[in-house]
Amino acid sequence: MVASSPFGSSIKRREDPRLITGAGHYTDDVRLPGMLSMAILRSPHAHARIVNIDTSAAKAMPGVVAIYTGADLVDLVAPVPCAWQPKNSDIKVPEYRPLAVDTVRYVGDGVAAVVAENRYMAEDAAAAINVQYDTLPVVVHQLDAMKDGAPQLYDSVPNNVAFHFHLEGGDVDAAFQKADLTFKQRLVNQRLIPNAMETRGAVASYQRGSNELTLWCTTQNPHIVRFLMSLCTNIPETQIRVLSQDIGGGFGSKIAMQAGEMIASVISKDLLRPIKWMEDRSENYVSTTHGRDHVDDVEVAAMKDGRVVGLKVTAYANMGAYLSTAAPGVPTWLFTVTQSGAYDIPNVASDVYGVLTNTTATDAYRGAGRPEATYLIERVMDLVAKKLNLDPTEVRRKNFIPSDAFPYSIASGAIAYDSGDYDKTLDRALEMIDYAALRKEQEQARAEGRLFGVGFSTYIEVCGLAPSAAAGAMGFGGGLYESAVVRVHPTGKVTVLTGINPQGQGEGTTFAQLLNGELGVPVEDIEIVWGDTDRIPMGWGTYGSRSTAVGGSALVFAARKVRDKMMKIGAHLLEVSPEEVVFDQGSVHVKGAPDQVKSFGEIALAAYTAWNMPEGVTPGLDESYFFDPVSNTFPFGAHVCVVEIDKDSGKADVRRYVAVDDVGNVINPMIVDGQIHGGIAQGLAQAVLETAVYDDNGQLLSGTMMDYAIPKASSFPNYELDRTVTPCPFNPMGLKGVGEAGTIASTPAIMNAIVDALSPLGVEHFDMPASPQRIWQLVHEQKGN
Amino acid sequence: MYPSAFDYFRPSSVDEVVKLLQENPEGKIIAGGHSLLPMMKLRLAAPASLIDIGRVPGLDGIRSDNGGVAFGARTTYDQIIKSDVVQQTLPVAAEAAGVVGDIQVRNRGTIGGSIAHADPAADFPAVLLALDAKVNATGPNGQRTIGIDDFFVDMFTTSLEPEEIVTEISVAKPAAKTGMAYEKFSHPASGYAIVGVAASVTLGNDGNVSAARIAITGAGPIAVRANGTESALVGQAPTAENVKAAAQKASDGMTFLGDIHAGEEYRAHLTRVFTERAINKAVERAQG
Amino acid sequence: MKITGKHTINAPRDQVWGRLIDPDSIAACLPGVETLDKVGDDEYSMAMNIGIGMVKGTYTGKVRLSNMNEPTDYQMYVEGSGRPGFIKGTGTVRLADGENSTTDIEYNGDVEVGGPVGAVAQRMLGGVANRMVGQFFGCVESKITGE
Repeated sequence: MVASSPFGSSIKRREDPRLITGAGHYTDDVRLPGMLSMAILRSPHAHARIVNIDTSAAKAMPGVVAIYTGADLVDLVAPVPCAWQPKNSDIKVPEYRPLAVDTVRYVGDGVAAVVAENRYMAEDAAAAINVQYDTLPVVVHQLDAMKDGAPQLYDSVPNNVAFHFHLEGGDVDAAFQKADLTFKQRLVNQRLIPNAMETRGAVASYQRGSNELTLWCTTQNPHIVRFLMSLCTNIPETQIRVLSQDIGGGFGSKIAMQAGEMIASVISKDLLRPIKWMEDRSENYVSTTHGRDHVDDVEVAAMKDGRVVGLKVTAYANMGAYLSTAAPGVPTWLFTVTQSGAYDIPNVASDVYGVLTNTTATDAYRGAGRPEATYLIERVMDLVAKKLNLDPTEVRRKNFIPSDAFPYSIASGAIAYDSGDYDKTLDRALEMIDYAALRKEQEQARAEGRLFGVGFSTYIEVCGLAPSAAAGAMGFGGGLYESAVVRVHPTGKVTVLTGINPQGQGEGTTFAQLLNGELGVPVEDIEIVWGDTDRIPMGWGTYGSRSTAVGGSALVFAARKVRDKMMKIGAHLLEVSPEEVVFDQGSVHVKGAPDQVKSFGEIALAAYTAWNMPEGVTPGLDESYFFDPVSNTFPFGAHVCVVEIDKDSGKADVRRYVAVDDVGNVINPMIVDGQIHGGIAQGLAQAVLETAVYDDNGQLLSGTMMDYAIPKASSFPNYELDRTVTPCPFNPMGLKGVGEAGTIASTPAIMNAIVDALSPLGVEHFDMPASPQRIWQLVHEQKGN
Repeated sequence: MYPSAFDYFRPSSVDEVVKLLQENPEGKIIAGGHSLLPMMKLRLAAPASLIDIGRVPGLDGIRSDNGGVAFGARTTYDQIIKSDVVQQTLPVAAEAAGVVGDIQVRNRGTIGGSIAHADPAADFPAVLLALDAKVNATGPNGQRTIGIDDFFVDMFTTSLEPEEIVTEISVAKPAAKTGMAYEKFSHPASGYAIVGVAASVTLGNDGNVSAARIAITGAGPIAVRANGTESALVGQAPTAENVKAAAQKASDGMTFLGDIHAGEEYRAHLTRVFTERAINKAVERAQG
Repeated sequence: MKITGKHTINAPRDQVWGRLIDPDSIAACLPGVETLDKVGDDEYSMAMNIGIGMVKGTYTGKVRLSNMNEPTDYQMYVEGSGRPGFIKGTGTVRLADGENSTTDIEYNGDVEVGGPVGAVAQRMLGGVANRMVGQFFGCVESKITGE
């Protein structure tokens, strides 16, 4: 198939036939001769000193090859690394070991690793290890942990405050002085468990002789794993190969360096045998990082016409028991640069406290900081509307950044939004929902005593991470450019090596479409390769909705280098000068004389036989490019949610859901729709279904899918989607990114609808999760008043 | 999610099952396995042996029985849904089977397993209580029939002896002008019943309620009859007001379970709400 | 998890008190106790096999009685761990004279449950705990009145 433009073609995903017929090759499918299975014994206590570990009975059990404790690993592997440390935040990174040495600090903290012939035997032996604990007082909630006298997790982190970040712009105090309306609101953004379909795991195989470590693992960023693993184990980067090709979902939970991968690697090196470790689901719930968990206090200054002139945010982020690899950057930079959302608010001040508690560590989770910020600002807009008795869409319009104001620099100047037209998406969403008729329907419903609500979310988000200099300035321990190699073969087929690392997003298809657009090569002749650090130049992986905008741009630039070289070779073969030819869907022909042509295949073969090359042109067609974006990208949109609440049970049913999104130019509309669908489901689920619950002793009560409610296909209605296209001016294809937008947008849309539904009862704000019991309790109490 | 080791038997007759139960006091019968295996995978249950009754003849099939229905103990929920006999005679059983778990569970889970396991949130204990079912069991002392009102004793505890196996569950032909319904408020995570109410209401020639059996599952440690509601309904006209008033009594005297999704007060409230809904639907069907 | 409740025993208070703090009586009446050995003043190590239905496990640990205010109230601390998880709880037991030489018992406790059983069996734990306490007092009563 050859398209004239890389945009707009909903070809079926090339990855899918393999994946849905059981021919995928996931980490757990790796079977190596002599492979052993590892099981990790984990602490059942949230905070305790390890008094003694008796492995004698376990070691004697059948099939057991070795047992390691934290003490055994201290000299073999460094602590779990924290690679994003925002500057000027007084950050204190506590030492957190892959297996606890003398203190366990959360339920699930690893205490011993058992290696046996198979996993069943390893689990039997783990159950026979006798650990004596001296329990310590536990603190679970970030506000409690900051108080004087609270249990301290680490001596090096007083009051459990690991960092304090501040970002501000304009004159917030003056804004509050002159405001017509000021008010405060506390918002809770509750903790979530990512629940990728595939849990985390690794197969580590250290080879005697070559001293090479081959590590299959479920990571979103294999090069980062290679980089950090070499720093943590002193195995040189040249001797580490990380493979992560088929991955069953990531959602941010597979970015961080995982203790399990590190342990498996050094044990493999110690025993010189391959070691497999795969989390089971209940292990995943305590051992893989969680998402969100903010308590945010906002103060708002507004004028009576609805304009918001000032915003003060104090955020308390629960980091869990240690600082995970990317974790500190999430509630700081990613949260604060989107604090003012789609709105022109000139005076904004944000303070963020990262607090350690005896819970599983938190890190990025679909949206990473932007859902928390968007939930906050979108609730603020509705609160302003409610308090001033204005329509919530009019308040939004009053505050929108105008479409001619881009690039738009936020109050602090930290970043500039690339492009946007916010009125346009809102107009379209209101048209689709028939807003006037909807409000009439609501009036009628309210007259009947029904709880019927409409909620909006006119969001922006920051993605396409990121200009490397900006990343460095933000304390990110690496660059955020991306690499691509476009390698044409003598037979005219093309391999693309990309440093991005999808976990199901579809780049195996969309990148082929992009390349097809640049070089005219049929999609079926293109191989997209990711997830092998031996084959692929340095890259930074897939998260932050960066793969298409950054990785795709690298691909395009590399492809253009190939194109330019092909034109030179083609011209030479046609015996004309390079200025006299055009490159047209893969072939090179003389301008105005299309019959004087050399095909893609002819040029490829010529380049590799090199029998007749132009002066100054080397053999081969193999070009690489490292693309460093000059700007982040800023998708935006307008979502509308209509809910009705059943008074008897408190259950909020979504009646309609409209989403109009602008993600820049769209390569494959079906794949983009798919990302929006999945994103919306995750965002709605946070509002009404999912909550990670800890009791005061640090026990995870929602410890399995019996109690943690993830959405099913039947949970929500069909969505109504539409799109506008406002290209990003800063990359060659005008791409923005879509992986997280649905999630960022939807949580506030449904919460605003639920609050709107409850407003006849005098409700102005309602915290998540809006579970049936919590809504019923509110309705019940209100009835009693 | 890795169970500890166990022995595995695959008997080919009911007598062999009973013998194996006698010889293996730490053994468990496995049919569909969708309640037992998750517990074993979490190592919360560790039976020394599993006695797989999948090939024991005489335990399956749904047959018409004097106008009523007899279910082999190993009948799956999916078989119940697809059975013409059930759809004609006891459609509430198909209705309830349709809201159990999900497709995979419905293809494996069995009616006999459901009642023998006696999970407080299972659906069928309430349905069978409302239907006044009879449970046939076979043990070392031969066969006996247990009335459903005597079957559920406590959480996960029935009146079955340790060496007995449920072989068949039978329901008599419903009286004329009987309507039945099952209304369930599903747990958002597990799909079990936070509250599930099964109602069987019979109307007399005068249009008033002549008999009612209302059973509630999910709310408390075992499925129970709502005796207060039943008494309040019998002899009354089945108006919306009377049904509502009767339903208010459904939570009286009950012990309620609680978890992070539904505490005791909320469960008590849902009990009343879903009792009202189940009765109203049953009445509508009895009248139709 | 909070455990609170009341129970009336058909026996006078000083007899009931004697039974409640006597190790043999505790061993006989605490459900599933397999061994109970004195290891100190009012402190006992124990192994219990408890559970509901097929979810059963053996927990080893200790029981400690303290703040004894004969014959009015005392505190009990229990901890046990086993494959299904661990439990740790403290409670206060208060006795008062009831009508007709009975004893009214009021108990008030806080139990932490951890490990797999805690993660999975949330909805049942309260019910199980209360049931076990009820069984304990019921057994104590039958031991007294049976004599």
